[in-house]
Amino acid sequence: MTDFPILTVTLLCPAAALLLTLLIPGRMDRLIKGVNALCALASLVLAIVIWIRFDRSVGGFQMTHDIPWVPSLGIHYTVAVDGAAVVLTLLTSLVFFTGVLSMWTLKERVKEYFAFMAALVFGVFGVFLSLDLFAFFFFYELAVLPMYPLIAIWGSTRKEYSAMKLTLFLMAGSVLLFPGLIALFVRSGGDTWNIIALAESGAFSRQFQIFVYPFIYIGFGVLAGMFPFHGWSPTGHVAAPTAVSMLHAGVLMKLGAFGIFRVAITCLPEGAAYWAPTFATLATIGIVYGAFVAMRQTDFKYIIGFSSVSHMGIVLLGLNVYAASNGASDIARDGAIFQMFAHGIMTALFFSAVGFIYDQTHDRDIRHFGGLASQVPVASSMFIVAALCGMGVPGFASFWAELLVFIAALQTYPVLGVCAIVGLIFTAAYVMRVLSTAMFGPRNPDWDHLVDVGAWLVTPRVILVAVLLLFGFYPTLILDMIRSVGAGGGP
Amino acid sequence: MGNLELFIPEATILAGAILVFTISVMGGSQRAGWIASVVMAAAGVAMSIVYVYADGEPFFPGIYRVDAFSQLLKVGITVGLLLTVLVSGRAESFRARTRADMPMFMFFAATGMMMLVSATELLTLYVALELSAYGLYILAVLHTSQREGAEAGAKYVLFGAASSAMTLYGVSLIYAAATTTYLSEIAQQPVTPLMVVGVLLALTGVFFKLAVFPFHAWAPDVYEASPHQAATFIGTASKVAAIGIIIRLMFLVGQGHAALTNVFLILCVASMTVGNLAAIVQRDLKRLLAYSTVAHAGYIMIGLACFSTAGVASAIFYGLLYVPVVFCAFLVVCVLGSDGRNPSKASLAGLYRRSPLLAFTLLVGMFGLAGIPPTAGFAGKWFLFSAAIESDLFWLVLVGALNATVSLYYYLLVIKEAYLTPPVDERPIAVSFATTVAAWLGIALVLFVGFYPGPLWVLAESAARAITGE
Repeated sequence: MTDFPILTVTLLCPAAALLLTLLIPGRMDRLIKGVNALCALASLVLAIVIWIRFDRSVGGFQMTHDIPWVPSLGIHYTVAVDGAAVVLTLLTSLVFFTGVLSMWTLKERVKEYFAFMAALVFGVFGVFLSLDLFAFFFFYELAVLPMYPLIAIWGSTRKEYSAMKLTLFLMAGSVLLFPGLIALFVRSGGDTWNIIALAESGAFSRQFQIFVYPFIYIGFGVLAGMFPFHGWSPTGHVAAPTAVSMLHAGVLMKLGAFGIFRVAITCLPEGAAYWAPTFATLATIGIVYGAFVAMRQTDFKYIIGFSSVSHMGIVLLGLNVYAASNGASDIARDGAIFQMFAHGIMTALFFSAVGFIYDQTHDRDIRHFGGLASQVPVASSMFIVAALCGMGVPGFASFWAELLVFIAALQTYPVLGVCAIVGLIFTAAYVMRVLSTAMFGPRNPDWDHLVDVGAWLVTPRVILVAVLLLFGFYPTLILDMIRSVGAGGGP
Repeated sequence: MGNLELFIPEATILAGAILVFTISVMGGSQRAGWIASVVMAAAGVAMSIVYVYADGEPFFPGIYRVDAFSQLLKVGITVGLLLTVLVSGRAESFRARTRADMPMFMFFAATGMMMLVSATELLTLYVALELSAYGLYILAVLHTSQREGAEAGAKYVLFGAASSAMTLYGVSLIYAAATTTYLSEIAQQPVTPLMVVGVLLALTGVFFKLAVFPFHAWAPDVYEASPHQAATFIGTASKVAAIGIIIRLMFLVGQGHAALTNVFLILCVASMTVGNLAAIVQRDLKRLLAYSTVAHAGYIMIGLACFSTAGVASAIFYGLLYVPVVFCAFLVVCVLGSDGRNPSKASLAGLYRRSPLLAFTLLVGMFGLAGIPPTAGFAGKWFLFSAAIESDLFWLVLVGALNATVSLYYYLLVIKEAYLTPPVDERPIAVSFATTVAAWLGIALVLFVGFYPGPLWVLAESAARAITGE
């Protein structure tokens, strides 16, 4: 291993995009887009290099880069990756890159848009890479706030209301996180914010864990679209512009689930096991409820928004099964993290396809469409691929992820597992409904003039489809990576 | 006599006041006086930084203490002065005939504040308190509109006089209980109920200055009716001085007397909640900032209510970072209100197009006040909350964090006006060179401390140790 701080450089890619965007005059919008695409591409390449260089046989945390930041308070800048972080870093860079490309046609306030988006991605990378709790939360809040201007300025459909609702919901989550996270630090003796050191300090009594765990779980859970605090998510999706929806569902919601995995379950295993039945039940309700509500929606984006609630429920169910087993159920953990990845790619593809259609039609009501598959065959096929993946059809990445979670759930919580699988039937129902109404069905001549995705804009979508298929047919590639989380020790 | 060299930072600011006065008397232009004041304020900041590690007593023993605590707060006060002076180049909201003399009052007030944070004897402390207040009283009256000026002046002087009277009464009770006026000797005395009442009354007077609920009623009216630069100065430098004096007084009755702790906790929660709820409905930007000051006084009280080194350090840290953060917001008020009227939230419409720099400054200021990373406000909030949890005040952190979320709502509404609402008036806003410098300086300070809080935290911690003696 060389000492090249590859994680720091990856983290600085969006920061560089942000700084360069601020320096370039606003009228040179093509240059701004180019610079952002370049920085995003750089982060994608680095993420792939990280994937290749990560030693799966050793596992644990690797490529650590540590700088004391506020020594007298024990705050460090520490970045390191384990198998889960490698996977999610790749996801983030993929969504960043394809997100920039799918906003290529943006004309309004280009400079500000890309500045806010780069700040958001900077925060997301920071969360996935940081091991220091202070830095973790710093980046976490940094990632959330740009959503407000991004939705409120460039969004549609009640954008100001949705933007404010989203921001206040997520900040209300932080209300619980503040005391919860700081209590971990204080109770462990107050010398370190390092998450691994906190987990290994053994300073948390069972009583303390049971008291603090719900604060941290719910605090992060709000961002993961946890039922019953999911209300911000569908309205936010509907209002957000395409790339923001992609980032929002693709990676931002993963921050919440990742926070639960990285901080709450790692540091408070006993508390996690104690609360697992409660939160697993809520997650299952989320799966069924999300799918149920999605069946009644007529707006493309509401359907995907509620399907996200449902799919994130699967992630949370997996995490809770993992927590209930005291870290023994590897399948549940692997499934949950795999599902984070698969869902991120899948929703990015969904929103990318819907955004493409909406940009031309300014309509998202599925009843107003029909026969899109013959009008815009390429865009429709993207949507259909995402839809099949959402249903968990074999051959796509989600299939394996959901399979793993359900197997684990059936072993631990048979009743919840069965309910969750029933939720999948509803999922199939609403997906079929959308496909039969809008994609196939009688052709609506109003939209005959639609132009299909061009050669240039198809690139990002093709990347996403390729990734879904790659991991669908060859899941070992990613499962090996995630499984290495269990191996090895600290950094 | 002690080492007079230690008085150089204060002397520089005092010299600034005299220089501005001389230029004005000799018939120099307003611009000449202003340039002199910028230079002297910058020299004051430089001197405060040079002497930040100084320690000793410049005068007779026991009355005036120069230590890590006083010197750090002096840096905050002089930075507040410099930033305010930088945006006072035209000072359109002041009455025309007074514009040349206006910086003099700021300098006198700043001298008083700097002496206040060093005073360790009750009468010295009281004299410094009055010295710092008189400059501010005069500044508040000088509004171009006679009516507004008179209103601000009358309210400020009357409230101020009442609060001074409280402090003086408290001081007399402390003297009656301890039979000495030296703080170091008072702290050695056994704690009697009379002493606790005396300290509480003395603190009450200072709570007025910091605008802690329920002593905050003057703030919105005075902010609204005083000239913009005067409000800026009251809102930045004077808060630092008030925090300093509270910290000096609160440890007179030992570390955390139960009565005092309870009073601090009640005022803290009430101040945050009332300030934030009242700020939501404000339309006038200056009134909004006044209520947000009340809320922030509450946040600072979180640290103070811990009665611990970490708590005091976090309060000092927050008080210092609050200067550039709230200045960023006031700067926009000063530029937009150059016709002498108060900018409302609606007048921010389209700011991003009329002046991208002002819009960005406002964004940084509002995110800083809301405590959003990467601004300094986030680190400040985090340290305050850490101190509270160390003192087993879990519930207080919940209340504080909840308040921060409420406050985010109205800060976001301000940002929304600036960034979303299309402009009514398309004309670009001219921003003078000095104001541009001040804006970048404020932004740089807020972001630097936000990304790298280490150095300032170390200073704040050693300042707190100088008081708690740990």
